[in-house]
Amino acid sequence: MLKSDRFLAYALILPVVAAVLAFVVGPTYNVATLSLTQVVMGQERGFGTLNNFRALWADPVFGLVLKNTAIWILGGTLLCVSVGLGVGAYLAIDSKVTGWLRALILLPWVLPDVVTAMAWKWMLHGQVGIIGQTLESTGLTEGTISFMGDPKLVMWMLVVVLVWRKMPLVALILCAAIRAVPDDQVEAARMDGANAVERFRFVTLPNIAFSLTAVTVISMIWITAEFALPWIMTGGGPANASQIMATYIYQQSFEFFNWGVASAMSVINLVMLVSIVALYLYVNRRSWASEASK
Amino acid sequence: MNEQPRTLNWIMLGLIGLVISIYVLFPVFWLFLASFKTQPELAQLPISFWPEAPTLEAYKALFSPTHQKGQLLDWPQLIGNSFFIAVSSTIIVLIFGTLAGYAFARLNFPGRDLILGGLLISRMFQGAALLLPTYRLMSMLGLQDSLIGLVLLYSAFGLPFATWIIASSLREIPRELEESAMMDGASRLQSMVMVVLPLATPALITAAMWHFVGAWSEFAFASILLESNEHKTVTIGLASFVELFTLEFQYVGAAATIVALPIMLIFLFGQRYFTRGLLAGAVKG
Repeated sequence: MLKSDRFLAYALILPVVAAVLAFVVGPTYNVATLSLTQVVMGQERGFGTLNNFRALWADPVFGLVLKNTAIWILGGTLLCVSVGLGVGAYLAIDSKVTGWLRALILLPWVLPDVVTAMAWKWMLHGQVGIIGQTLESTGLTEGTISFMGDPKLVMWMLVVVLVWRKMPLVALILCAAIRAVPDDQVEAARMDGANAVERFRFVTLPNIAFSLTAVTVISMIWITAEFALPWIMTGGGPANASQIMATYIYQQSFEFFNWGVASAMSVINLVMLVSIVALYLYVNRRSWASEASK
Repeated sequence: MNEQPRTLNWIMLGLIGLVISIYVLFPVFWLFLASFKTQPELAQLPISFWPEAPTLEAYKALFSPTHQKGQLLDWPQLIGNSFFIAVSSTIIVLIFGTLAGYAFARLNFPGRDLILGGLLISRMFQGAALLLPTYRLMSMLGLQDSLIGLVLLYSAFGLPFATWIIASSLREIPRELEESAMMDGASRLQSMVMVVLPLATPALITAAMWHFVGAWSEFAFASILLESNEHKTVTIGLASFVELFTLEFQYVGAAATIVALPIMLIFLFGQRYFTRGLLAGAVKG
């Protein structure tokens, strides 16, 4: 290896590495230290305290936030992957219709969060929303439902919108995986008299197990990081009924200026992300190994 | 297999396809329709599906100066700001992503795979947890409420993925092409610009489209950093209707259409590149 090559390489990657250090790694470190600092009205008053975490623990909303975040991440992931698997299996069929849909289905994924949030807010509107009105006029419900105003419903409504937004890519990835299943295996199972369900269960599923696990973990990462959608749809309300970690961090930081609690919550959020990323690397170790050996 | 179940299967296939298309398209289409309706029509029951008297009033109102005094934002300005941020950061990301991508694809240096892996993993942390420290960092640098600050931030967020997608496409271009150019007396830089980059154009387009769409759509960091009305972006403008409207969804529809339009055009004309980046990006987070 030429020595000049090495210098050239470091010079070429320097801007990218410096940018990530400054705007991702630096802030991560900064919020970690802030969470261990006593902060009063934006003024730092001494490092080395767990008071912020104690305050968070004592916060009556914190339990609700944890519960909602669990519904958001686990419910969202489970629905994205199960619906995505069904849609993906459908898209994997060879036909003109599915070929065309494979392109169209990406639409929810490329649209800005803000647009998605507004579109669903309009459909779920409590008085004149088309979903509520349709349910009422077909006699399925008596009167219209206040989808976003009912504390018992609102979190699940957010999950429905989340699935609309994130499921398409899950479906496409699983569709690609299903299409890569060797035809001769499926054909052999058919010869042996396996019906469509059995062929899916015993031939397709084992073949796509890796993609399925990977896409599950990736969905969890996406959903944990998602902020704009719940924030614009509900802002955490009504009365914190849809408050999740991401929206709570925003509210505590920029509406209540409660930086101590906000940074403690951010650190918990980061720890969750690190755990999921670790899980991701573990699941993906096969492909990293093959990458490194290239 | 006889004919009958086969026809039935095709009908089923088509029906499921129809249901999925409606599921995907309807929410956006419904808001789009609202932009052509009038205020009383939006509030009336039963709901009228098509606009009774289609009007462009909502679009006119968004672009007319009289409507913005005090309550609504200046949309031409918002659009200009969003374009400035998205285009500048796309250019930055392409330039530095290409340089770094070249190094990761072509040069050997200690820690290469580790650094590239680290860059990719850093993408996964760009969420709500970084809002507060980013705000603090930008205030310290005097870059809050500045378009340049957002350009830098979005570039930093977008560079790892662009670098990775460019690096993986450069790896597929045979080294021999470049080596023969260098044999003919071209410098490393010349061979990179003249020989390698033209072949990597699809990857550059993919990276550019991805970054543009991400920067144009970003809301969270823009909303905490931009304070003055003349610096705000289209996503903030659209989100601001949350506080303003009662049933003024014709404005929401018009604004959402404006925000979605560039994305839809890119999606329509760049489908090929988009899918490529999407699947690649998904596998690596």
